[in-house]
Amino acid sequence: MGQCLRYQMHWEDLEEYQALTFLTRNEILCIHDTFLKLCPPGKYYKEATLTMDQVSSLPALRVNPFRDRICRVFSHKGVFSFEDVLGMASVFSEQACPSLKIEYAFRIYDFNENGFIDEEDLQRIILRLLNSDDMSEDLLMDLTNHVLSESDLDNDNMLSFSEFEHAMAKSPDFMNSFRIHFWGC
Amino acid sequence: MSESRASALQLGRPSRQPAVHPENLSLDASCFSSPPVNFLQELPSYRSIARRRTTVHSRDKQSGTLLKSTDSYSSQLEDRIAENLSSQSLRNYALNISEKRRLRDIQETQMKYLSEWDQWKRYSSKSWKRFLEKAREMTTHLELWREDIRSIEGKFGTGIQSYFSFLRFLVLLNLVIFLIIFMLVLLPILLTKYKITNSSFVLIPFKDTDIQCTVYPVSSSGLIYFYSYIIDLLSGTGFLEETSLFYGHYTIDGVKFQNFTYDLPLAYLISTIAYLALSLLWIVKADLEEERIRQKIAERTSEETIRIYSLRLFLNCIVLAVLGACFYAIYVATVFSQEHMKKEIDKMVFGENLLILYLPSIVITLANFITPMIFAKIIRYEDYSPGFEIRLTILRLLVTYCSSWKLIQCWGQQEFAIPDNVLGIVYGQTICWIGAFFSPLLPAIATLKFIIIFYVKEWSLLYTCRPSPRPFRASNSNFFFLLVLLIGLCLAIIPLTISISRIPSSKACGPFTNFNTTWEVIPKTVSTFPSSLQSFIHGVTSEAFAVPFFMIICLIMFYFIALAGAHKRVVIQLREQLSLESRDKRYLIQKLTEAQRDTRN
Repeated sequence: MGQCLRYQMHWEDLEEYQALTFLTRNEILCIHDTFLKLCPPGKYYKEATLTMDQVSSLPALRVNPFRDRICRVFSHKGVFSFEDVLGMASVFSEQACPSLKIEYAFRIYDFNENGFIDEEDLQRIILRLLNSDDMSEDLLMDLTNHVLSESDLDNDNMLSFSEFEHAMAKSPDFMNSFRIHFWGC
Repeated sequence: MSESRASALQLGRPSRQPAVHPENLSLDASCFSSPPVNFLQELPSYRSIARRRTTVHSRDKQSGTLLKSTDSYSSQLEDRIAENLSSQSLRNYALNISEKRRLRDIQETQMKYLSEWDQWKRYSSKSWKRFLEKAREMTTHLELWREDIRSIEGKFGTGIQSYFSFLRFLVLLNLVIFLIIFMLVLLPILLTKYKITNSSFVLIPFKDTDIQCTVYPVSSSGLIYFYSYIIDLLSGTGFLEETSLFYGHYTIDGVKFQNFTYDLPLAYLISTIAYLALSLLWIVKADLEEERIRQKIAERTSEETIRIYSLRLFLNCIVLAVLGACFYAIYVATVFSQEHMKKEIDKMVFGENLLILYLPSIVITLANFITPMIFAKIIRYEDYSPGFEIRLTILRLLVTYCSSWKLIQCWGQQEFAIPDNVLGIVYGQTICWIGAFFSPLLPAIATLKFIIIFYVKEWSLLYTCRPSPRPFRASNSNFFFLLVLLIGLCLAIIPLTISISRIPSSKACGPFTNFNTTWEVIPKTVSTFPSSLQSFIHGVTSEAFAVPFFMIICLIMFYFIALAGAHKRVVIQLREQLSLESRDKRYLIQKLTEAQRDTRN
């Protein structure tokens, strides 16, 4: 477990990150510290990358049932740069706007990445949420059909982004629960 | 028909439609399986929505990953700039940081082409927004217990976190109530006590009332045992009766300032009405902010439904029986206690005296201890969803807790019992609302009590409880807690209204000895107003005004109900239209796919 070169973050960089993300100063500095502890030795933090496994094993993500999807969506070419981690923390922060959260939620839940949340995606979501691999086929179909009957407005057995957005706007819990606190300080 | 089946199978998507015979082919679009997703991604509607989301998805068919195609990216970027010089913050874009940086640089170069005035406007709006953000950040730091509640949310979920947020809400509410009472009632008293102003004191009337009514029995002064001093401190009797803790201390009739006389009895009554109104408004406002969760009951087969409902009916009857038994036991115990208090004190043994005195409380506490356990067992059989289960338990326990309160600690490896804890604090708050009229310092005591409860619960939670094994956290019950609090407020208003308007005020102590009832202060004050204002007030409170007003309110309500009904019908029609359009789209895509295949072959 090496440590990056201990460069203090420049003030201009901090200001820039504050302007471009929804994170506060303290949050950015905390993430910077956590990143420095995990990244390989001898590298400047702006050039270092973390693997998806390293990010998945962060305490904030370790117990999340969707951590693989989260890492997939927010990483670039399979690795996380410091700015990728900041971007991820920004989307999951409290201050982020609803449209941004809905956008990334859609990407995370779209398991097969075809631009729509179809029945297959819904079934995988349900199985992940209930944390069980053995579930009766009938119950699964029931739940999937229930979700679709609620949100699928044009009856094509898939949720397009507009339908998903509409469904999330109706649910008051979404903003409150689509949050992860990333810093450990 | 067979081609569509084949294409569906090629995509690995099982066709869910029943087998179609060639003879009864119809143009019903349910025969067609979902069209290939590639086509859907080429549609203009999909693209414009994707552009609006400011992301770029381009499908790499082999690897199936999302790639960013830089060519279309830069053109999209330029499109976006055109829309984008209108002040949407860069943060709202779903891009990563380096892309946002590029976008910002492009924005800044674009800015040069604007006029001076526009540039200045944009710069000032940006600085203003930044200032607002800093201010907002500052105010969130002032929020009480922010880190504690966030860490609880992270470790135990939002269900338990909503309990602690509710506690925080009550602390703030009680603090504000105390401030109101302080401003209106305590401050003039303090000013008088330290001789900053003069005041006139309340005269006890001799003519209309009997002598016995005007004498308040003061506790014996002189040598008292130390233990009775402690008991007085804990139970609010004895020497505490004469302090400002109780209503009797407030005997000032009017505080003389330079220009006017401050009518303390009126202020006392107004402060009561003010804190009740404020509590009502604050709770309702918090309710409206918490949007309501619509619960859909899961579909069940009809015979299961019958079985479940009859079981629930039976169990609810048992619950009612238990509640009835509790009330009867409390009633019998109270009557027994009252009658035996009349016995002479010397004839009783020391322990028996205490037992009879506290018999009602003992029965109440036993009932409050046993009934939650009974209800918890019963609710397991009723098979509700978790959120509903919590709410129903709370409602049932609400009826039991009408006369007592209890804090259930979390010992060992239990889960945190939300319903009992919430009811305990709602009960405490109801008592505080009722009692604040008779004991003005009570809200301050309640504030301290809730602060202590917060820390005790938090520490017991962190050190003795484990997180609930249920993966679904109970949905945010904050709205429901506020609803129960509202019920408590309405229950508190009833005895207060009765005692203010019906029950004659004490002639021996307190600020209202000159009046028949407490409410009389208001008509007396109104009669000192100028006559035009008087006739206006009489007009507004008369029947001639109230009945038409009520009818108008009803009409407005019916109008809104009709409007909502009309909107609902329109929504249903639009949904049907939407699904018809979608069927047409799928049909056309199908035809297009077939035509393409034909031309290829």
